[in-house]
Order: sequence, then structure tokens, then C-alpha cells
Amino acid sequence: MGVMAEHRVGTREEYDAAREELLKEEKELTRRGDDLARKRRELPWVPVEKEYTFDTSEGTKTLADLFEGRSQLLVYHFMFGPPYEAGCPVCSSIADTLDPQVVHLKDRDTTLLLASRAPLKKLLAFRERMGWGIDWVSSNGSDFNRDLGFLHTEDELKPFLEGEIPPTVEQNARMCGTDAGGYVSEGPGLSVYALSDGTVYRTYVTTARGLEPAMAYYGLLDRTPKGRDESATAPLWVRRHDEYV
Amino acid sequence: MGEHGIGTREEWQAARDELAKLEAEHADRNEKIKEKRRALPWVRVEKEYEFDTEDGKKTLAELFDGRSQLLAYTIMFGPDYTKGACPGCTSLGDGLDGSLVHLNHRDVTLLCFSRAPIERLTAYKERMGWEFPYVSTYNTEFPFDFELALTEEQAQHIPEIKEMVEDPPDWLVEWSHQIGAELKDGLREGPTWIAFAREDETVYHTYTVGAPDPFVAPYFSFLLDCTPKPQPEEPRTFRKDEYPD
Repeated sequence: MGVMAEHRVGTREEYDAAREELLKEEKELTRRGDDLARKRRELPWVPVEKEYTFDTSEGTKTLADLFEGRSQLLVYHFMFGPPYEAGCPVCSSIADTLDPQVVHLKDRDTTLLLASRAPLKKLLAFRERMGWGIDWVSSNGSDFNRDLGFLHTEDELKPFLEGEIPPTVEQNARMCGTDAGGYVSEGPGLSVYALSDGTVYRTYVTTARGLEPAMAYYGLLDRTPKGRDESATAPLWVRRHDEYV
Repeated sequence: MGEHGIGTREEWQAARDELAKLEAEHADRNEKIKEKRRALPWVRVEKEYEFDTEDGKKTLAELFDGRSQLLAYTIMFGPDYTKGACPGCTSLGDGLDGSLVHLNHRDVTLLCFSRAPIERLTAYKERMGWEFPYVSTYNTEFPFDFELALTEEQAQHIPEIKEMVEDPPDWLVEWSHQIGAELKDGLREGPTWIAFAREDETVYHTYTVGAPDPFVAPYFSFLLDCTPKPQPEEPRTFRKDEYPD
């Protein structure tokens, strides 16, 4: 156990004093987090003019249909492109946390679902393997992902693919049964919509670092003595929940 | 639906870019806090505790289950609660299983504590379909030593609690019905995260955090922070199998 991060052992009084100081900063962070949520709500709403259609287990649906009678819609853009044989492992770990939230969000007038570009049949088979109940729709055949910036063309990816490919990308691509180019053509993201008087508005979109809170295990690790304890060079440790050895 | 304007995609993008700067600043601030958290002194746990678990009696060291870190949430479920745990804590619990396997592979044992006897915790866990270990601190000094619960006498001397018991807001009256306990007893449990480290045979307390840190809120509150509609100040919370249709 010599791997434990450097730490000092102290008395309860020493801990309490240091904790008190830290608590002030944590409270300030909480206050700022509340400010950010308020600022997100002040963003202008953009009417979604284009008609997007989705393949769902209940047939073809429009974006407005996906609200299922509620006034807010959260879409997690799960990296699962048409050539993938299985969903992205990191997106899978995110879905592990999203799945049990669906029932609670419904009560807050909010529908949460997953969207990917792979054909619906592939998505549903993978969902069954993972044991999730969350709705998953295929945006295959519409510009939904592209218009949000979550689908990249070969041209756009060229500079990235010509550079040194990060080991995590290589690893995840292999785990998805595709190559680096195929893997990163899909982008992860969260997009948020409001439905008001029959019009759908896009209100918020986030990706990359903005998705970190969606990885609930990171939030938990951040409160443990070792923290995330990740290496800058080794590929990411995250696996699909049925693939850890 | 709150204060917002309707805008063009360009207007939205400009406002979003400004907000992204603040979000990045927030994430940087959080990084610094995480460093300070890991720098807190560890405090050796001298006392021997013995807990009731689903697998019989266990010491604190045994709860680590062979790992070197223990992260535990205290679900408000005191011995006086006749109808089950606090519904808010229960929704937080719903989000933990999604992280369980991931944390277990990062040398972290994740579990929940409550003060009600083990038989009641086990029955409640089964009702909720949870997987994480649920440990009873019934008849131990552990929750009082680590400020996870208040003694009757302590509770009587805290003005905020006295006020809530004597003049409770409507939601708290309803909450008291949901747990099936009087507020003077119900409010003695503290929804709290606590972390420990184990090195060789020594256990150290490393961190405790309670409300109003957002870490003590159910996971879906992070998702609601991204939605356009403001949330009520004191939203009613329900157990997932008790939502009114």
C-alpha cells in the first residue's frame, strides 16, 4: 500500500482547523455553482427550426415527440456510431449513473434519454446487455448530431488523426470495434431543450469538461483520500461495468 | 418559465461562450479545492467499532473489504423511522449503484450507513433494489463520535433544529409523515459523506462533508442545474416507488 498519496497524520484538532478553512472554500464553490445554474437559465432560447426525426422503439418521432408531454428534455449524446460494435466505454459508465435518474426527473417535468447515430437495433441490443431501462433513440439519418457539433467529418479530424493518438482514444476505439478515426467521428455531449406552446427551443449544450459531472464516480473519487489517482500517460481505467477483470 | 429571451443561434453562441469561461473558471477552482482536500491531515481512529452488516458483525477495518479506501454516505434512517429512510437520501442512494463497480476497481469501497437496525436496512435495500453494502450503526457510538447523528440532548441545544421542530414548514411536516417519525427524532440524523483510509492495520478518518454541499444532493440535481426551468425552493422528494401519478 505504499502507493497511497503523500499525507500527514494529525490530531482531530488539526483536522478540524484545516477542515474549517476548506469548508469556507467549498461553500464559496457551491455558491458559484448556484450562480452558474442561474446563468444557464438566462441563456437565450433558440427555436429549433429544422425537423429532426428519430428512430425509437415506438416508431419514428420528432424532437417535440421526445418530450413525452413534459416541458424539458435532456439528451445525452452517447458515442455509438454506425460502425461501432459496442457503445463507448466512458459513455457507458455515464449511462450507468443516468439510468436511475430517469424516474426522478420525470417528476420534475423533465425527460432524459440517450441518442446515438448507430441503428436502433444495435442500440437496444447493447442496452439490454448493460441492463439499462433509459430510452435510447437513433438519430441516424438526421443532421441532429452534426448540427450540434457532435459529428465530425474526415476532413475535420485529419489534423487530430495525423498527430499522436492518445492511448485512451486507441484503447476506446479498440473496445468499440472501430479505429481511432471511426471512434472520434462521434462526439459526446449533453443538449437541453424546452417545449413551450408547441415550439421546441434549444437552451443549453455542453461537452468535454462540461460532462465531467456526468461521470458520477469522479465526483465520488474527488472526496476520497487518493482522489482520481490517474496517470497522465496510461490509458484510462474506465471499462464497461461487465468488463472489469 | 423563468427569465429568458428568445434569440438567434449566434446570440446564444455568444452568451454560451461567455458562460463557458465561467464554467472553466469554476472547474479550475474545484481543482484547487480537491488538492487541499487531499492535503487534509489523516486522523487515526483509535476506538474499536463493531457494525451489523448483511454478513454479520464487522469492524471498521473489515468494512474496507480488502481495499485501502472507504467512502460512505449516511442515509437518514434512524431507529425511530417507522416508514423507511428519508426520501431525498433514498434518491441519492438510487444513484450510487451506477458508480459501485467503477469505484471498487479504483481501490474504493462504497457503502451506506444508517442508524436503524440491520433487518430494517436490509428490507429497505431490497425494496429499493440497491446493490451497495448497507451497514447499521445501531447501538454503536460511531455516528455520534463522527457527527453523523445527534443525541437527543445535542438536538435540543441546536437552535435551528429546535425551530424546525417547533415551527416546521409544510414540506417538513410532509417529510415527517413520509418517514413515519416525529421531527424531534427524524432530524437527529445527518445526511453526510465520510471517508476513511486504511494503511496496514490502521484506519484513518480523512474527510467528512454534509449539507448544504451539493455532493449531499441526489445526483439528478446536477442534471436539473442544466435545465431551463427554475426548480422550486423546497421541492417535494419521493421514493421512486411512491411517486403520485
